[in-house]
Amino acid sequence: MSHLRFTIYDLRFCRTARRLGYGIVFAALFFAGGIGHAAATNDWFTQGVELNCAGQFPEAAAAFAQSEKIQPAAGTLVNLGITEWQRGRAGAAILAWEQTRWIDPFDARAEADLKFARAVAQVEEPPLKWFETASTWLPPNAWFWLAGASLWLAVGALVLPGIFRRRKAGWQQTLAALAFGLFLFCLTANFGLVSRTQIGFVLTKNAPLLLTPTREGEVITTLTAGEPARQVRTRGDYVFIRTLGGSGWIEQSQFRLVCPK
Amino acid sequence: MKIPQPPTANAKRRAPAGGRIFFRWRLLAAGWLCSAGVFTLLLQAQVPPQVSPEAAAQMIMRPQTPVDNSQSANLVATAEFDPPAVRPGEKTTYRVTINATQNSIRWPDEISLPAGLSLGPSARGQLTQPDGTPFRPLTEFVYEVTPTAAGRMVMTNFSVPIGWQTVEIPAATLDVAETNAASPAARKITLEVSETNLFFGQPFRVRVIFPATAGNQLEALRDVQFNGGGFLTDKLSVRQAIEPVGQGDKLVPAFTYETIATPLAAGPQTMSAQGFTVPPFSAGPLTITARTGPVMLGGAASGRPIFLVSDAVHLNVRPLPEETAPAGFTGALGKFLADKPQLSTNRVHVGEPLHLRYGFHGDGDLTRFVPPATPRSRDWQIIADPPPATGFTLIPQTDEATNTPAIPFSAFDPATASYVDLTIPPLPVTVIGDGLPVQLPVLDDEGKTTAPLKLSGLAPAPGKTAASLRPLQLRGGFVIVQLLPVLGFVALWQWDRRRRFLEAHPEIVRRRQARRGLRREKRFLQKAAAAGEAAAFVAHAAEAMRVAVAPHFPANPHALVCGDVLAQLNDAERNGRAAETVRTIFAAADARFALAPETQADLLALPAAVEAVLLTLEEKL
Repeated sequence: MSHLRFTIYDLRFCRTARRLGYGIVFAALFFAGGIGHAAATNDWFTQGVELNCAGQFPEAAAAFAQSEKIQPAAGTLVNLGITEWQRGRAGAAILAWEQTRWIDPFDARAEADLKFARAVAQVEEPPLKWFETASTWLPPNAWFWLAGASLWLAVGALVLPGIFRRRKAGWQQTLAALAFGLFLFCLTANFGLVSRTQIGFVLTKNAPLLLTPTREGEVITTLTAGEPARQVRTRGDYVFIRTLGGSGWIEQSQFRLVCPK
Repeated sequence: MKIPQPPTANAKRRAPAGGRIFFRWRLLAAGWLCSAGVFTLLLQAQVPPQVSPEAAAQMIMRPQTPVDNSQSANLVATAEFDPPAVRPGEKTTYRVTINATQNSIRWPDEISLPAGLSLGPSARGQLTQPDGTPFRPLTEFVYEVTPTAAGRMVMTNFSVPIGWQTVEIPAATLDVAETNAASPAARKITLEVSETNLFFGQPFRVRVIFPATAGNQLEALRDVQFNGGGFLTDKLSVRQAIEPVGQGDKLVPAFTYETIATPLAAGPQTMSAQGFTVPPFSAGPLTITARTGPVMLGGAASGRPIFLVSDAVHLNVRPLPEETAPAGFTGALGKFLADKPQLSTNRVHVGEPLHLRYGFHGDGDLTRFVPPATPRSRDWQIIADPPPATGFTLIPQTDEATNTPAIPFSAFDPATASYVDLTIPPLPVTVIGDGLPVQLPVLDDEGKTTAPLKLSGLAPAPGKTAASLRPLQLRGGFVIVQLLPVLGFVALWQWDRRRRFLEAHPEIVRRRQARRGLRREKRFLQKAAAAGEAAAFVAHAAEAMRVAVAPHFPANPHALVCGDVLAQLNDAERNGRAAETVRTIFAAADARFALAPETQADLLALPAAVEAVLLTLEEKL
């Protein structure tokens, strides 16, 4: 019996070692894949820059789009926007720069390009509510982590002294109150962030805004490329959007969200 | 060619103003028909020219002379057998003529016949006769009658309601006798169709032939109708001509009425034609010397129109195999060929239109040709040319377009009973995108140009990256990530709860520690036994026993002696081998305190007994 116990113990030890080995191999592969991933992204990015410099804008845009598809990056999207602008596609350019600001709200290049594009194309910025404006202060995922951290920090500051049989100090309660306040603010910012995911931009020039989601639908008005709109619902190949000028249906191919679903 | 001009009543008297105009019109028509008749005698049938929808609408919407349907008091009905004398079994026609519109006559569904007559197919038709202004209606009912016995058959008179009046149809008499001379061949019309085995929607030619009489006297047909519900005849493709047709082994001049019909129902169909005889010229009979002999136009033997009905033609209309219909099928049937499409240019800027011209030709019916439907394309705005032009205006929407869009089109070839793909293929084009300005001057308050606002340069590196543009809040793992801290707090709570429990029950901790110590001592014990080290074996065995019984007192294991271990054994064990093993081990262990410690090597033979004692003690923990 005792020999059997010792055998089992040895087997457990061996299995643990094997798992450890598997973990090391997996981690190595993961990091190797990540390096390969980044290399592929850089290849497309470099190719896009070269094509843009050569004046081959459609091909350059395709290369930047491929790079962005593999891994969205602020610089890639800035370059994609510049290339689309040079091709004469104001809507796609503004969308790319808005996506840049979605990833990195502090990207000065995208901000300047957006300002320039809107001055040239005569289109407005998307109107944001106060909680949506607050959500632009930090990258989207930062709000997520900040909300989680502040909540559990508040909970921890309240609960952990009891668990560890320590007296609740004043600073701990202050910390809990501050963390909880931060959590409440982060909640509104997160709500604004989710609300901003419904904002998109018109891609094509003179895109018809239709009364009904049909091919022969009555045209309410035509929209300028780069005009912001909020997606309300979809039906078939059409999206119901709300713009500054009114509401109506637009073809899905003529409208794209900043944060694609 | 000398054309005799016999004096006519119209020529003798001076006609009123309206009559003069009508007379001139008739003269013009006579001249046109004469020329047409002469020239078409030796010509083959030609495909009718294409008529544009606007011209067709004008033709259809031309104002017509009104028809007098005022139901005048002098309604007249006539009835007769044509011919009135036949042999038994010889067909004749029972003909009733009423000068009223067909819709106003409530004709009985069945008429009573005298014995000895059998009724065949019937037909009815309406003619509007020019009688100054307005036209006068004339309706005729015909029945095919076959006498089965000889005798004098009398079709009695009967009444028919017409509007609010009642008109009496007079009696008609038919002499049936074997001695009757063979009646001359009845005037009849023949219906010819180009095909009898058709597909649904397949246009086919129908021709009504009205041959000249034995004396080459030729008459025309008016108000020609085709009976049978499953067809649509094309009024715009009607062609009337006087031409030679084969009758037996010889050519005879005949009036022909030709048009195009389209089957609108699948399955077996029956078709017949009917019409009224009219002289081709009102000016009088004209005699033309043609290759087939002298032909007399007009001056018909009968002074009034005669209603004629052709024999029925049976057709088989097959449905189209719709399940295999390719994209772009708009209903075109026939043998079509596509011309090579032509582009106005192959290099355009975004938003600049170019024109694509295509053409189809063949032996199909082009009057009902439906051009290819305008396809939808993300890269192109496509505008079809208004008919009858064939082409598309294409406007590129993006510089990504490298080809014009393929425009699907197909036709059904009845000869092979299969669809033929006639898709207009994509043609290569170069679309140039027009860039937007990259620099914008900014003006100050005084309107002077200051530093230009310009587009930034390209980013040298990808920069800050993100796994996805989709925020974590909207991903599926959001809930799981939020649950992780919850799980941590639950674990902490469980740990604290267990800690409090163990504080309330310290014996559990002692027993657990004892079990852990016992396992440790057992390992040392087995190593010592394997190494043959008797002293170590005894020491670890004694220590294991102390550790195993310590929680029962509770006490520190080092404070326990042999008696304490024996006290934990039951009576049977205390008097048995287990107690002896305990005493032996403790005696040997205590021997180390002797002046001359001596360990018996035979103690190494006790592992099994020691193991049994330890197992007994472990079970009590």
